[in-house]
Amino acid sequence: MGHGHQIEIVQEQFTIPSKAKTFAIIVGVLGLILSGIGMATIDKTPVAGAHESHAQTEMKGHEEHATAAGSHEMHANSGETHVEGNFGHRASYEKQNKPWTTRIWTSLLIASYYLFIVSLAALFFIVVQYIANAGWSAAIKRVPEAIATFIPVAFIILLAVIVVAKNDIYHWVHYEHLHAAKGSAEYDTILAGKSWFLNSTMFFAFPIVLVTLWVLIGRKLRKLSIQEDSAEKGETKFHKKSIRWSAGFAVLYGFLFSVVVWYFVMSIDAHWYSTIFGVYNFAIGWVSALTIICLFVIFLKSQGFLKIVSDEHVHDLGKFMFAFSIFWAYIWVSQYLLIWYAHIPEEMAYYQIRYEEYKPYFIANITLNFFTPFLVLMMRNAKRNKMVLTIAGSLMITGKFIDIWLMVIPGVYGPGMNIGFLEAGAFLTLVGVFIYWVLVALTKRGLVPVNHPFIEESAHHDVGV
Amino acid sequence: MIDKNLSLRNRRKLLLGLFDDEDKMVAATSALVHEGVKIQDVYTPYPVHGLDRIIGARRSWLSIVAFLCGLTGFSLAYLMIWYMYVYDWPMDIGNKPERLTPSWVPILFESTVLLTAFGMAFFFFWRSRLVHGIKPELLDPRQTDDLMIICVESGHDVNESQVLDIMKQNGAAELRTRDGGVSTVI
Repeated sequence: MGHGHQIEIVQEQFTIPSKAKTFAIIVGVLGLILSGIGMATIDKTPVAGAHESHAQTEMKGHEEHATAAGSHEMHANSGETHVEGNFGHRASYEKQNKPWTTRIWTSLLIASYYLFIVSLAALFFIVVQYIANAGWSAAIKRVPEAIATFIPVAFIILLAVIVVAKNDIYHWVHYEHLHAAKGSAEYDTILAGKSWFLNSTMFFAFPIVLVTLWVLIGRKLRKLSIQEDSAEKGETKFHKKSIRWSAGFAVLYGFLFSVVVWYFVMSIDAHWYSTIFGVYNFAIGWVSALTIICLFVIFLKSQGFLKIVSDEHVHDLGKFMFAFSIFWAYIWVSQYLLIWYAHIPEEMAYYQIRYEEYKPYFIANITLNFFTPFLVLMMRNAKRNKMVLTIAGSLMITGKFIDIWLMVIPGVYGPGMNIGFLEAGAFLTLVGVFIYWVLVALTKRGLVPVNHPFIEESAHHDVGV
Repeated sequence: MIDKNLSLRNRRKLLLGLFDDEDKMVAATSALVHEGVKIQDVYTPYPVHGLDRIIGARRSWLSIVAFLCGLTGFSLAYLMIWYMYVYDWPMDIGNKPERLTPSWVPILFESTVLLTAFGMAFFFFWRSRLVHGIKPELLDPRQTDDLMIICVESGHDVNESQVLDIMKQNGAAELRTRDGGVSTVI
């Protein structure tokens, strides 16, 4: 294969098949309907009130131990561990009642944050291919490019959610602890110490500046790619420029992605921190981006587009999905294991609530994100089977949704929440918008980067028997 | 035992086409396959993409070997931890439970990966007769440098002149026969 015969590189113009359009709209409308049902059926009393009994016992426990808080008393039984003290989730549990609308905002936060890190990782995919001088991926390059155009949309939704609901989602936003006198009961040493970083100015300024830079580099790369299309055959000027811009993006993304993650997600549990949290979120975004790229490539192939893309490319994307599911699990264990082993109360608080109160989700998270892809995608034939890839990919995306839900919800509401119509609805709505947006972005230009220096290599890509 | 099928020593007469160009070699291979000639093997100094499909090479068993080695590594590590930590001398470390816990994961993982890697490397070298101390059997020393060699085993169903003709027409740099370990230029 590939030898002795030429593969003709022809430009293709994508038009959205009506079925795909309908699918995106159905997903979006289904999301809206579920959100509507959610809003109609949700208990309109303030959220913390809905779990009064639980919240109260929780608070009582803390009050009883208020005097002992200084000594960080800890009861460790063989099976169960109770952590008490002036750290961890207490501040978020006992916060004043949140209006029921907070559920809408957290749902939107989860969905938009997910799509934000996914589209960012899609841009990173292009960047990595440039830096590594990778040839095989040239033929599918337009797909991650189209996904990357969603970064600003997801980011704006994310920002809007935070502007509206930051008081209810991020408990550190309340400034009491800063204004309280040092030594008084309300003074929170941890939050005061972090206030140079966790304050409203930085909260908005830093991500906005950084994401603007990322988006600008993404646009620059896209522009260079268009220019390359209409350039002479064999012109490598644009490719070399792209490599330089990619290197810049990789530095900015590699070092500072963590910071954005700290602001948007980790600061929900402001007393807690994990140094691997950024990597963990990168793993979520990266494996999801690879999955979504794979699903779009499969879709485009099924519609007769991307003629030079063969099973070999799909196979490689499948390998990526498989490999980075294991990477995700590796990072997940790296975070969990150290906290579990060290058993330091202020670190334990994060996992205690997620393990004790959200066990089904905790288990579903590992099952869908690690065991499913690990067992399903291990065989070579599975990675070359588009149906298997589609099913495994959909399960992985669901798993990632649960993963982010599990990072956000316990920190905001404490124990006793479940994935409801609102969460599923907001997720599906934004996914519908995302699919439609990417389909439109794919029509905006030719599907094949015809003058990419490696397009021939990509067309002849072969992973062997 | 080292795989005898790969040994050249016991072969019958071999027809060799030496090529200095990848495309010519691939074209010749395709032509031979098209004519229904059974190709013994093609020796190249570097991997040539697509060649394995043309000569109809079977899929390597290496990945299955890797899986089995991984399973062995996992099981051995599990047995080891269970014997040491649960059965023989139970230990209380930080009041952690004895049963399968996250602290087992790194050991299980590393052992799985270690045995997979070693097992794959070992079986690969074994299967391709690259064991230390074995004198390599080369059809021609140049196959490790810049020449690609198509090797066809002679037999009563092989039309020798046709095979050599096809190789020549497709631009073979040199044609040779090898009989009883002696290689001669045609």
